[in-house]
Amino acid sequence: MRFSKSLFLLAVAGSGARASSDKTARPRGVAPDFAKYYQDSKTFTCISDPAIQVPFAAVNDDYCDCPDGSDEPGTSACSHLSHKSPLDVADRFGSTDGPVANALPGFYCKNKGHRPAYVPFQRVNDGICDYELCCDGSDEWARVGGTKCEDRCKEIGKKWRKEEEQRQKSMTTALRKKQALLAEAKRLHREIEDQTTRLEAEVKDAEAKVGVLENEVKAVEEAERSKTVRSGGKGKGKVSALVGVAKARVDELRDALLEVRQQRDEAQSRLAELESILSKFKVEYNPNFNDEGVKRAVRSWEDYAARDKTEIVNQARDRDLTEIAKTDSESSGVDWEHWENEDEGCKDTDLIYQVAAYLPPSVVAFIEEKYLAFRSFLETSGFLATTPESNSPTESKAVTKARDALNSQEDILRDLNNKLRDQRTDLETDYGAGGIFRALKGQCISRDAGEYTYEHCFFQETKQISKKGGSSTSMGRFNKVTSTVVEELNDAGDIVLIEKVAIEYDRGQHCWNGPNRSTKVVLECGEDNEILKTAEDEKCVYSMLVTTPAVCPGGEENIVASPSKDEL
Amino acid sequence: MTRNKAVPSLAVLLSLVVLIACLVAPGWAVKHENFKTCEQSGFCKRNRAFADIASAEGSSWSSPYELDPATLSFQDGQLSGMLVKMVSEHEKVQLPLTIAFLESGAARLVVDEERRLKGDIETRHGSKINKKRYDEAEKWVIVGGLEGSKTATLNPQSETGFTNVVYGPNANLQAIIRHSPFEIEFLRDGESQVQLNKQGYLNIEHWRPKLENGESESAEDESTWWEENFGSNTDSKPRGPESVGLDITFPGFSHVFGIPEHADSLSLRETRGGPGNHENPYRMYNSDVFEYELDSPMTLYGSIPFMQAHRKGSSVGVFWLNAAETWVDIVKKKASSNPLSMSASEKVDTHTHWISEAGRMDLFVLLGPTPQDLSKTYGELTGYTQLPQHFAIAYHQCRWNYVTDEDVKEVDAKFDKYQIPYDVIWLDLEYTDDRKYFTWDPLTFPNPKGMQEKLDASQRKLVVLIDPHIKNKNDYFVSQELTSKGLAVLNKDGEVYDGWCWPGSSNWVDCFNPAAVPWWNSLHKFDKFKGSMPNLFIWNDMNEPSVFNGPETTMPKDNIHYGNWEHRDVHNINGLTLVNATYQAMLERKKGELRRPFVLTRSYFAGSQRTSAMWTGDNQATWGHLAASLPMVLNNGIAGFPFAGADVGGFFHNPEKELLARWYQAGIWYPFFRAHAHIDTRRREPYLISEPYRTIITQAIRLRYQLLPAWYTAFHQASVNGTPIVRPQYYVFPEDEEGFAIDDQLYLGDTGLLAKPVVQENTFTTDIYIADDEKYYDYFDYSIYQGAGKRHTVPAPAEKIPLLIQGGHIIPRRDRPRRSSTLMRWDPYTLVITLNKDSEAEGTLYVDDGETFDYERGGYIHRRFRYQDSVLSSEDIATKGANTAEYLKTMSGVSVERLIVIDPPTSWKSKTSVTVMEDGAKTATVAPLEYHEQSDGKASYAVVKSPNVGISKTWRIDF
Repeated sequence: MRFSKSLFLLAVAGSGARASSDKTARPRGVAPDFAKYYQDSKTFTCISDPAIQVPFAAVNDDYCDCPDGSDEPGTSACSHLSHKSPLDVADRFGSTDGPVANALPGFYCKNKGHRPAYVPFQRVNDGICDYELCCDGSDEWARVGGTKCEDRCKEIGKKWRKEEEQRQKSMTTALRKKQALLAEAKRLHREIEDQTTRLEAEVKDAEAKVGVLENEVKAVEEAERSKTVRSGGKGKGKVSALVGVAKARVDELRDALLEVRQQRDEAQSRLAELESILSKFKVEYNPNFNDEGVKRAVRSWEDYAARDKTEIVNQARDRDLTEIAKTDSESSGVDWEHWENEDEGCKDTDLIYQVAAYLPPSVVAFIEEKYLAFRSFLETSGFLATTPESNSPTESKAVTKARDALNSQEDILRDLNNKLRDQRTDLETDYGAGGIFRALKGQCISRDAGEYTYEHCFFQETKQISKKGGSSTSMGRFNKVTSTVVEELNDAGDIVLIEKVAIEYDRGQHCWNGPNRSTKVVLECGEDNEILKTAEDEKCVYSMLVTTPAVCPGGEENIVASPSKDEL
Repeated sequence: MTRNKAVPSLAVLLSLVVLIACLVAPGWAVKHENFKTCEQSGFCKRNRAFADIASAEGSSWSSPYELDPATLSFQDGQLSGMLVKMVSEHEKVQLPLTIAFLESGAARLVVDEERRLKGDIETRHGSKINKKRYDEAEKWVIVGGLEGSKTATLNPQSETGFTNVVYGPNANLQAIIRHSPFEIEFLRDGESQVQLNKQGYLNIEHWRPKLENGESESAEDESTWWEENFGSNTDSKPRGPESVGLDITFPGFSHVFGIPEHADSLSLRETRGGPGNHENPYRMYNSDVFEYELDSPMTLYGSIPFMQAHRKGSSVGVFWLNAAETWVDIVKKKASSNPLSMSASEKVDTHTHWISEAGRMDLFVLLGPTPQDLSKTYGELTGYTQLPQHFAIAYHQCRWNYVTDEDVKEVDAKFDKYQIPYDVIWLDLEYTDDRKYFTWDPLTFPNPKGMQEKLDASQRKLVVLIDPHIKNKNDYFVSQELTSKGLAVLNKDGEVYDGWCWPGSSNWVDCFNPAAVPWWNSLHKFDKFKGSMPNLFIWNDMNEPSVFNGPETTMPKDNIHYGNWEHRDVHNINGLTLVNATYQAMLERKKGELRRPFVLTRSYFAGSQRTSAMWTGDNQATWGHLAASLPMVLNNGIAGFPFAGADVGGFFHNPEKELLARWYQAGIWYPFFRAHAHIDTRRREPYLISEPYRTIITQAIRLRYQLLPAWYTAFHQASVNGTPIVRPQYYVFPEDEEGFAIDDQLYLGDTGLLAKPVVQENTFTTDIYIADDEKYYDYFDYSIYQGAGKRHTVPAPAEKIPLLIQGGHIIPRRDRPRRSSTLMRWDPYTLVITLNKDSEAEGTLYVDDGETFDYERGGYIHRRFRYQDSVLSSEDIATKGANTAEYLKTMSGVSVERLIVIDPPTSWKSKTSVTVMEDGAKTATVAPLEYHEQSDGKASYAVVKSPNVGISKTWRIDF
């Protein structure tokens, strides 16, 4: 029991109470759904706390009597009754804990000429006309501070109905588009299935061809080997033949040396350029800008610059190299003439691999080491494919030809296998209900926002194109279709969780001082494929709101599949 | 072997980058090497060395300064004479001295140097700079309180060799001036309070020519006299050595506070080494200190050279008016002899040593005796805090950066969606076109007006950043005007100074130049700052000034300002001059429409409180920084600049959710309540934080809004008598020695609200220290805490803010949550009443339109509520003016909707009504009262429903 009735007769009654004398009229702010609670003209029973009764005069007297706020449907007096407020014991009517909630969803605006709606109690009589919710201006009935909110329902309602009509139309179109998408998706699916079947056959065929060619290569190699041995015997003996091979190898090593030196010089000048960039960077960077990446780079650079640097190009060594790089003659390097004319028999075919013995040992070690080191660096860095050893330079033309044929056939096979794998992956990919997203795959939409144009290519990638520099940055490559929970407001202004379809893109361009860029594209029903907005939720983690008919509800029934090729 | 001909040279480049990136040795902290220690600051080192010599000699040391008695004269409360520095038998330096005894009870000592004053010196390097010691600080800082005492008299009974002046409103103050060596002792009621040059550290480095070829015979270390190097910068020092130093002793005082800004405890530590002490003096040289460290005497962004010494029964202060780099050493020693000491407890003297690089000596001595007296007297001199616009004391949402105008609108909408109130959204520098202030980025902020209109729809405001560095670019109109009008700071050679800041190459506006003010003013007009609207306000950052490539991240000291003053002379005032100009500019953006400006500043000096709010700069998202924010804010309050706050959440790095929530629970107690975040951090607007923290944060913000009437009243009080808005323990209980060092709990104005924010991780109870034997009530459940001089354990689960109300108060609240504080202005009030031991209570309320200056013409409500002898009354304590009637008319519909009386007499159990009598009403009315019994240590309470008395009316309610 709240305050005694007798006292309330003396208390100043709020203006809202007056309306209650009219049986048909509801108290201010009460929706038809709640009208039944306000029938008794003498006593009001708090909706969620029926044990508590107050005189009806306490309804809308701008004082909060009910712990659930139901006695103040037309004022802001109970607007603090929420778990969001710092309530004390008196606010909680004596209880010290437990949830606090208003029994009513809000102030009910009749909005005659438009749709009725609830305005949160905290907006009642705050001096702002909340037309977007309350077009009749009834939320500002007390005219605090002289606020006057005229009834704008006529124009707002008209506008809304026009838009609503447009929305309905749009929704019809969207559904039609969705059906078309479903049909297209179905067709594409079938097409891919067909392609898969076709590819499987082609792969089988190619595999057979590869087998044949492999055998051919073997045969040619066999034939050539015997030929080589024979021609070897024909000249001035094995040694000179080997010398020929050795000479070729030395020439090759020399070429390699030249090239490695050239690459080294290039790297050298790039290093110098880089060092000068970093030196300048160190001077000009802003230490107040808390970019950890920048700071780390500066610190590392300082360490690097301070380190005792061994001279990369040793002048003496370099002179040696110049010497080595000179073409062999009697005076320098190896006197090939001498060896080619050497007639001494040599049975040790391994000599070919000991050709290095003909060179000054330090030189050969140096070249080999440098070459191998550089090569392995390139290989481990992934800039150079590791080469199979078998492809020796001494191969004859016939072998090369046969091998080339095999290689190209192998390429074809690999190609086919890749295509097949792609198609199979595609078939296994989740393209949403009815595979509808398959029809969107590869479609690109874009939107200007701030200094960037954002692009979304369905199931491929998201991109950011700077308007200032024009450069394009990948914000992620397609990963998977998923769902996400979005917080929306219901009619009562409470947060409700809505699940939406989302497409995840990750492995985008790496962020300076951050992760690889990624984007979550959240899909909403709409007539067109359109980016509504893009946001960077945290460093290099983006979200994009995209409309598409593909996620509009309904439309899965009666899909008119367009006839596929097979059916023709 | 085959070779791959196409060796990608990119690989080499990339591998190098990888290599460099791999050599990481992280570890972030303040760059100590970027800022000077005393040892590295020539004049500090010299003065400390001088002090060491004096100390070493002990009683045989005699300060070489003498007051020539023949020159003394006394007129209009001012003693004048010549202080003489005995350099040698032949060389005596003349130092004109005045001691002004002021009507307020403060005394002011000024010492200048005759030769420099007369311009009788030579500057080196052909420099054209001003030859005088800088004497214009008062022009920027002092606004009043200089009226000479009419009652100050020379005591004819002075001993020989002494001059004795009796002064003060009650003639209870005395200055005993010893002639040789020169010393001054200030007494109140015969008790010594402040002593000058007692240690003999007084040092005024007089002008002397530089002797070439090592002619000098002096034993002094001259290595830092003529030139100083720090980092890659050389200071040319055209006037040579010119520092001033003085020791100030507070006899019997063991606590000194003040001299912000330092990230340290409220009670200042000793600075001459030893366990728990600092190694360096507290430094004041406004600097942009990147990732500043805690528990440090290092300088920060602002400085107020005002120190308070406090002991039981006495609060005294000294205000060292000097704008140059300043260091303060603090040493506490057991008092050698204290004849007045009656107790057995050992007394401690606090010895301070003040050292400034340049300028004249200008010192105010304030003799209290209470902390409130100091606030008032200091405020009379330097001005009180501006009464801010009401929105400015609500919640501010900031981030570096909201990236587009659409982004701003969305954040705005989200606050409404989650029903979290906020008043102001902020734009850091990225809103500008290419970092040119007074412009908008055309791509990201194409529609600034639409954005501001959207904010205005719920009465919200926008604050944008405007900094003093102006991008040095020909096609930028501000840059063109700055240089063509000659309003920029110059380098030592008299050319426009060019330094590096956010926009790259930049020039700095010199607001010391009077001509810069109207120009700066013009830039803020709606037609110049296009796209700005009346709900836009200004944030002045980087005004130390921060110069990325300058020595100690600021300007070279030999830069030249208006009046040919060196930057060295004016450095600490620099930030204030910019803010003054901005304040002027924002005062009347539209002709005839005066509005209270709101300006946030990072750099400040004594006097900045008149025009701005401050924040503690770039803090970090750590528990340590959260904890440090409380003493920092409290210290600013007692130093006369109470409109202070720290970045809620911490600027650098990402706070954990618990830290963020606790920070909001603490941040609502900052007078300036703003959340801010670095550009590299995750978004952390309150609605983004997952439950339960979102609700916890929302409750905290709503609590701030609920208490805004109390906050605004406290702001008003600060604006008329200088009392801090949030107050430390010692300030409220100056007689309770146990509480002097407490700086982790605070009181809101004089509302009796005592908050103790939780600043430790994973901590769910806390101790609140209670000084007196009144009952204290938990704000939320009315649990009773009582017991003087001890700590009481208070539960502090994650969602709870430890908050008590002292018995004896009446706290005004507005309970209806609105979207913004402006929208609360028509809402009714709730009064929360706690009775003291005598069953009495008191509280005040100040209300005005929160926007205009109408309050200066009486357009406000000021009430005193009192509960006494079972009657609650509202008394008018306003002074009527031309605007009173009009304002009261607009507020006539605003009433008191509810009274909550905590712990009423048990006799109220049977009470069901109260009688209400409003002035002017023909008959009394009756309002219902309901008594609620509580047990288990929780106080019972009574609620009065709708007494419906006008907030602007005089009334009484009989219980």
